[in-house]
This record gives sequence, C-alpha cells and structure tokens, in this order.
Amino acid sequence: MVDAAHLRAQFLADLDGVASDRDLQVVRDRYLARKGGLVARLLKEIAGTPAADRPRLGQQANALKLDIEANIAARRERLAADRPVAGAIDVTLPGRRPALGHRHPLTIVRAQMEAIFTRLGFAVVEGPEAEDEFHCFDALNMPASHPARDMQDTLYLAGSMRGEAWTATGPRSADEQARDPRTLLRTHTSSMQVRYMQAHEPPIRIVVPGTVYRRDNPDLTHSPMFHQMEGLLVGERISLADLKGVLLTFAREMFAPSSRLRFRPSFFPYTEPSAEVDISCWACEGAGCAQCKRTGWLEILGCGMVHPAVFEAVGYDAERYTGFAWGMGIERIAILKYGVEDIRLFFDNDLRFLEQFPI
Amino acid sequence: MRIPLGWLRDFVDVDLDARALADALAMRGFETASVDPLPASPQPPWAKPAADAVIDLEITANRPDCLSILGIARETATMRSLALRLLGTAPGLERKRLTAGESDAVSVTIEAPDLCPRYAAVVAEVTIGPSPAWLAARLEAAGVRSINNIVDITNYVLMEIGQPTHAFDLERLDGRALRIRRARAGETITTLDGMARTLDPEILVIADAERAQAVAGVMGGGHSEVASGTTRVVFESAYFEPTGVRRTSKRLGLMTEASARFERGGDVNATIVALERIAALLESIGAGRVVGPLVDRCPVPRSVVRIRLRRQRLHDLLGVDVEDEEVVRIFEGLGFATSVEWLLEVAPEQAGWDVTIPSFRVDVKREADLVEEIGRHYGYDRLPAVFPAPQAPPAPSDPRVARDEHVRRILLAAGLNEAVTYTFVERGGQEAFGLGDAAEVVGIANPLSGKFDVVRRSLLPGLVEAVAHNRRHERRDIRLFEIGARFSASQGENHAVAIAWTGAGADPHWSRSGRDVDFFDVKGLVEQVAGALGLSVTCEPTKTAPLAAGRAATIVVDGAQVGAIGQIDPAIAAARDLPSGDAIYVAELDLDALWAARLVRERTAPGTTRVASLPRYPSVVRDLSLIVDERLPASTVRGTILAHAPEGLVDVEFFDRYQGEGIPDAHVSLSLRLTFRSPERTLTDADVQQGVDAVLGRLGEVHGAVQR
Ligand SMILES: [Zn+2]
Repeated sequence: MVDAAHLRAQFLADLDGVASDRDLQVVRDRYLARKGGLVARLLKEIAGTPAADRPRLGQQANALKLDIEANIAARRERLAADRPVAGAIDVTLPGRRPALGHRHPLTIVRAQMEAIFTRLGFAVVEGPEAEDEFHCFDALNMPASHPARDMQDTLYLAGSMRGEAWTATGPRSADEQARDPRTLLRTHTSSMQVRYMQAHEPPIRIVVPGTVYRRDNPDLTHSPMFHQMEGLLVGERISLADLKGVLLTFAREMFAPSSRLRFRPSFFPYTEPSAEVDISCWACEGAGCAQCKRTGWLEILGCGMVHPAVFEAVGYDAERYTGFAWGMGIERIAILKYGVEDIRLFFDNDLRFLEQFPI
Repeated sequence: MRIPLGWLRDFVDVDLDARALADALAMRGFETASVDPLPASPQPPWAKPAADAVIDLEITANRPDCLSILGIARETATMRSLALRLLGTAPGLERKRLTAGESDAVSVTIEAPDLCPRYAAVVAEVTIGPSPAWLAARLEAAGVRSINNIVDITNYVLMEIGQPTHAFDLERLDGRALRIRRARAGETITTLDGMARTLDPEILVIADAERAQAVAGVMGGGHSEVASGTTRVVFESAYFEPTGVRRTSKRLGLMTEASARFERGGDVNATIVALERIAALLESIGAGRVVGPLVDRCPVPRSVVRIRLRRQRLHDLLGVDVEDEEVVRIFEGLGFATSVEWLLEVAPEQAGWDVTIPSFRVDVKREADLVEEIGRHYGYDRLPAVFPAPQAPPAPSDPRVARDEHVRRILLAAGLNEAVTYTFVERGGQEAFGLGDAAEVVGIANPLSGKFDVVRRSLLPGLVEAVAHNRRHERRDIRLFEIGARFSASQGENHAVAIAWTGAGADPHWSRSGRDVDFFDVKGLVEQVAGALGLSVTCEPTKTAPLAAGRAATIVVDGAQVGAIGQIDPAIAAARDLPSGDAIYVAELDLDALWAARLVRERTAPGTTRVASLPRYPSVVRDLSLIVDERLPASTVRGTILAHAPEGLVDVEFFDRYQGEGIPDAHVSLSLRLTFRSPERTLTDADVQQGVDAVLGRLGEVHGAVQR
C-alpha cells in the first residue's frame, strides 16, 4: 500500500514541474479526481486495512487531501499573477536618458578645489592669461637679471596687446585697456597675487585658478599649456604653522581623511621661507607602491611665506603683514586622482577619454 | 651635484649611510636625484675604510655654495650636530699660506672692475703628469674626467670648495700679462672645447698683452692650455659679477661648471683660499710648487653684511618658539657668526641676534632669509599645523567664476561634453576661419612650432579640430563646448563660450528614428544660455566666414553683436578631412559682453525677478496660418503683431513653417498660435475674434499676408 507521506512527496515533485494552468489541471486530476484519483485510491485501500489502524490512516489521508487542495489553490493564484498583461511593454529595453554631457576632468578637479577653499573662507578670483613682465616676474622678486627667470621658459607675445577687456571688478574702457599693454603669456597664476594685492588691502584670502603657459614641447609629462591654482593668505602674524594648517585641511578633504603632509625646504624667488609639499600616498597609505614610486609620498605643490620684497612691490607694510602663498598644478592632481598616464590626453578632447569621467 | 660619500668624510664624520643621508638632506632642501653605490677604488692615505657611494643632489638656484663637497658637509654637520673640519685643520685638507705681493713673473691688471671685483693669481713651477689614482677616482666619482695633474687640481678644488680656478701656460701668455678686460668687437677666441667664438664688448675676457686667452668665468682658451710640455703655469682665482657671467654664458650658448657657479654668485673670499689649497695640493701630490707671491687685485672691497634677526619675528613667521641655544647652534653650524650682546639691551620686541653673513651665502640678504635658515634646520616637520582664524569676513568671489559655471551646467545638461583646447593655434588654420586680419591677430614671438604660432581670436578653430579628432576615431555624433579666453590686438583678452555639434540631433533611441542636428538645435542652446543670464537674443542673417551662407547668423543682445551661429562652411570641414556629408553647427558667444548687457539690464530695471500673480481667468488660444513672402523673417511678423497687440493678447508662438504644394511660389505658410487672456474677466468668443481680426488686418496691411 502507498502511504500518505510518500504520496505527498510525489505530489510536490509533480507540482514543481507545473508551468501553466493546463499542467496544473493535469496534476489536480491525477491526485484529486473522484474516480481514479490517487487520493481516492488511497482511501479505498484504507477501507481494507485492520480496523485498529483505520482511524489513524484515515486522518492522514484527509490531511493529505486538504494539503494538496491548498497547494493547488496557491499555485493557481501564482499562475494568474504571472500571466502576461495584454499590451504589456518590454521593461528590459533601455530607457530614454535625458542628455547629460561630461565635465572636463580639469574642471572637475578645479571645482572640487574651489568648493573646499570657498568653505575655508577663500574668495575665488581669476586673472588675465596675457600678462606683463611686472606682474609675472618683477613684482615677484624676479628682476630681469634673476636666474629664476631661466626656470620659467616664457612664451612672449609678438608686439604688445591691450589689457583684458574685463576684470573681476567689471568691464574696462578701451582707454584702460590701451594703457595696460600685455607682452607675455603668464607662466604661473602667481601674477594674479600681485594684481589682487594692488587692488585690495589685507587681510586677504584668495585662490586663483587658471591657465598658465610654458615654452615646453608637449610630451607624456609636459604641456605648453596647463592649469594651476594659486592660493594667498595675508594678515597679521600669519605663520608657516598656519600654512601647514590650511594645506592639511585641504589635503584631507581633497584626497583622504588620513592624509599626512611633508614640507621640504625649497626655493622660490617670491617666497621665503619656501617649501615643496608631499602628500602621503593614498593608494598605499605611505607604505610605497607604483603610484608613489615606492617612496610613500607624492609631490603636490610648492609654497612658502610671501617674500617681503613682494609686499614692498605692491605697497604693503612688510613689517605689519605676513602671509603665505602656494601654487599647485591642476593637471598634476587630476593625473594622480584618475591615473592619467599622458598629460596630452587632457587637451585631445577625445570623447573616449572625456566620457570616462563621472557626470 | 654629485657628492661622493668618502670625499664628504674628509670634512665631517657622517653618521648615516648614503640613503639615510640623502633622505635627511632632502628635508633640509636638497632633493635627491639618485643614490648609487661606488665600486671599490683607490683611496687617499688619510681616508678610513668605509662603504662608498655617490649621492646626486639637485641644488636650487639660490645655493651656489652647495655646489661643493664643503657646502654639503656644512649642511650635514649642522643637521646632525657634528663637527665640521675646515681647510687647513685636518689631514687631506691642507692649505698652504701664501704671502701677497707683486710678482715679477706675471703682471695682473683689472680693466673692468664692474665685471671683476677681485682677481688673484699665483705662479707655479710644475711637472705635467697623471694624477694620483685616488684623486682621479674622486673626480670620476664626482663626474669629472681626469686630464692631467694640474687641470685635475683645479677641478678638485672646484668640486671640493666650489671655487672655479684656471691654469694658464705662462709661456704662452704674450708679455706675461693677464689683462681682465672687455672683449673687443669682433675679437675671436678658440675655447678649450675647440670651438672658435666671436666675442663682443659685453663679454669679459682674460687676455695677455695681445689677445683673449679665456672667456672670464666660463671657459679657458686653447692657446694657453696646459699641455704635456708646460713647465710654468699661472693659476687664476677670481670673483666675476654674476650678471656678466650669466649674460656671457647665454650669449655664447656655453654653460660650464664654472659659469654655473659664478652666475649664481661666487664667494669673494674663496679666491685666496682656493689658491692656497692649490699650492698645498701641488706639493702633496708632487705636481710642482708655487713660486713668488700671491697677486691679489681687489679694487672693490666688499663690506661685511650683518642682519638682525628678531626673536619675535622668528616666532611670528614660523609659528613656534625656537630656543635661543638652538638658534645659535644652527647659525654657527652654517658659518654665520651671531652676536648676542645687544640682545640684552634693546626692547623685547627688538630683541634677537645680530648675524654676520658669511661671504659664501650670497642668498641671505634679509631677515626672512635668516628665518628660513632656522626653520630649515629646526625642521618644518616639527612646526605645528594651525588653522588661522579669519581676520575679516570673506571677500566676494570673481563673478565670472559663477557665471562660467552657470553656463557650463546648462550646456552639460543639454548633453554637450566639455572640451579644453590649446589657447595657441596655427596662424593659417585661424585664417581659414575668417580671423586672419593681421591688425588683430596676436602672434607668439618665440613659438614652439608653427602649430602654435598665434593666440586664438576665437575658440572655434580649436573646437572644430577636436570634432575632427573624434571623427577620425569612429565617432559620428559629437557635441562639444568650451569656455575660455581669446585674444585680439584691439579687444585684448576676453572670455567666450563656443559650441560645436555634429551628427545626431538627439541621442539615438530604439523608440524613434534619428534626426541630424540643425541650426535650431544650436540656436536653442544659445537662447538657453542667454536666458539663464536674464537676456534674450535675436539672430540676424550674415554671410561671414567660417559659416556657410544661408545658414549663418550673428547673435544680437540689446542691439549689440555678441556672437555668431551657423553651419561651418563645408570647405573648411573638408580641409580638416571631415566627411562631406557631415554638417557641423557651431556658435560662439562673448560671455563678457553678455555679462555687461546683464549688468545694464540690472541697472535700468532693478529687481527684474518679481513674481506675477497667477491668472484668475482662463486663456483662449487661436491658431492662424498665413501666407507671406518667403523672405519675410518670422521675427518681423512677430514684431508687427506685438507692436500693435490687441487687448488681451498675451503670447505669440510659431508652430509651423511650410513651403510646397498649395502655397504660391516664393511664399511660405507660417502658423501662429495666439493666446488671449484678460486679468479682469473671462473673454468671450467675440472678444477673441475681434483680436484675431485686428492681427490679421494689421499683417495684411503691413506685409500683404493672407490667411490660408
Ligand atoms: Zn603609494
């Protein structure tokens, strides 16, 4: 005789194979048909067993019947839910995305830096790319004979051009433009330090993002045009310790909260003391890896306390005011952040490159 | 500067291995280019056996004193609190005192004291031969080729103490004279590198009675070169003015170990020390001996430089208190003498140190330079990091930054990708864009190549080139924009935004068939950008390069031209190998002019953004189709309607333009949607019909328009 448990297992296996209402009807008929159904057959067989066993077996068979009915009902409901709706759409087809372009990676980095420094109380100002020698060199303690002018191989304009038509303070008249001839493409955003200080009294907190130029042939690591962000903070009793504090705050927001900075003494004509700053490599946390050439450190910027000669050139009281300035390459930071291997990619504007950056 | 560790140990008992020393020097301002082990080589008798290596350091332009073993030894000793052995105080560092006087073997005259403030010379009898192995090995480790014992001695002293010297064959000097004079115009010399060079009066030379025998501070001449037969030499040791040497070096295109040091600034006192060191070395290696007195011509005596460092200033600039003992230790280690006497006498804010600057530290000119010396050797890593409290409310940012960002966001949201192209372009390439006007183009005086010989007058040539680049790399649908500076002689520098669009008008999607970009896609962007700045634009047809006639317009805001829009002339596209079927639509807008127009609006109509109350009564819409002359611009039709707008007319929109079947030749059907609404009541059909009739009447009268 087939027992109830065995029949139940057999039913569940059959139910598993059901894919349609039709299948379900076949299974139902097999087990529950009044004539010839397996459950009916089981009940018939129980009638022939000893009387002592009959109540127990009968109970089991009835429970099985109820269980099968419930399972079939549940399955029927599920089949109904799965049935396709007339005129249904194919939801797996691609959606219609609103067009959204990609920001240039240099703008992404620049905007992140601007946001951090704005929050730290710095104004973002822009300056002209076509400059004169006074703002680019002389006022920055680099007179014509200074060897440091060698370090900056400058692109000069053929003849002189009028000054910019528009400045941070507003449009300029043709007269003003004519009185302010420009002779070169600035080699650093530091020239704007001078312009800003000439126009404003301390205290000062500014950052100056912008395009700069050097007479370098383009290759993997050089570009005749690149971008910098200059920073300048001037006030009373501003120290190298303050410079460390500002740059550390920036680095921890820009790169990693655990970032450490290393200040190495260096030389720039317009700062004294001067330093180059390395940041702990975020890829290996300072342990040494390919990105940091096994040193644990990445060079990110140059900085220093504003040279008193610069203050004197803009008419500040170099006794009363001290301050610091720094300059960092935006490409340099984008290269580190995104692992760009060739600086020229920033200027090819190849969509296969640009489209890799987050929207 | 290559520093062999064994050589450095002559001056200081270095307590670090080469790598650790290099790392420590990097934290004092001397960046390491490389650290390499040195193979075993012959050592001088006084050297203790130790592992040798060479550290190659990058010396910044302000530290010519560190283009020497002694300079780096001084830094090392100060950094590690070790004793520094000076010349004349230890074996291997002998110095032979020479007596100054007049020589009967050679006459020395400075004729250009402005370029040569000090010149010393001494005569020696010599036997030319090879140098001892240890000396040749040291020079080689420092990167200098061994030539013969006399030349090697001058190079040894150059590397050791940083003072360039030169040996002349005395017998080859006409009249046994050394005249330090400016070169004559057209005078020539063949320098030691075998090159014949033409000189001029800006160049200082060392001449004999007749001709130039050396280019001062740069390179000796071949005629008086020390050779195997030389028996008597005169050694020169001088101080040449940095600017003169620098000018000469640039003019001759000749940079040498000597010129690199002189042009950064020599040590006016090292002239004598170097000759005394040479005298000692001649004897110790058996190369000869000095005969006669030392001739010292010092027409311009230098005064001792003393600078005051205030303790308060030191604190203010470093942000930390450095103990007095530490300050004095650092200064003395670096060769600065400090005087503390007045430290006790003066007011506290003036208290500090009087510091005497050694003559080799030409970079230390003011108090801040002294602060740097203390900071460097105290250690920047020991300074605290403090966030400075604001001393005033933050200043406003440049409005151009927010303006450009606003424009950028609009264009990104329209699906354009941001480009950054070079500011300099090719003159010829720009000419093709109709920007060749020689009076306006600003050239680059010293361009890197013909590809970069002018600064751009427009962003379009670069942007179209970026389109071409992408087209060459299998892209058909390209949408780019750039925000940047452009330049012209009369207008100076100005900021613009440019757009270039080719291929699909919208992203392809399975649900619709594609359409290529046209004029009105780009015009819509221009309207959007101007609208975001609170301005509305009008377009006027134009026929100027680089745009294709019939699909080109100037963009006007408040009567002023602010840009152009249209299809790039197919000939220009073809010249960039773009497929002939591709239409590239572009626009360029002067952002500064837009901003100026906005400022004018704000001045004349302040508070332009005022909320109007919402309409209380329904509006009524009527569509009209008119047949007009095809040359009649739609904007004129619109202008006519608005100029005589009937009561209740609140909006006029175009929704169709049709030419073809059913429309007479040279005519066009324009479909307009007129919206009427009254703020006071619900308009009746009769009200609206009256308005429509008025519009129709007016258009018929002015433009001969008839309803279709
Ligand atoms: Zn790393």
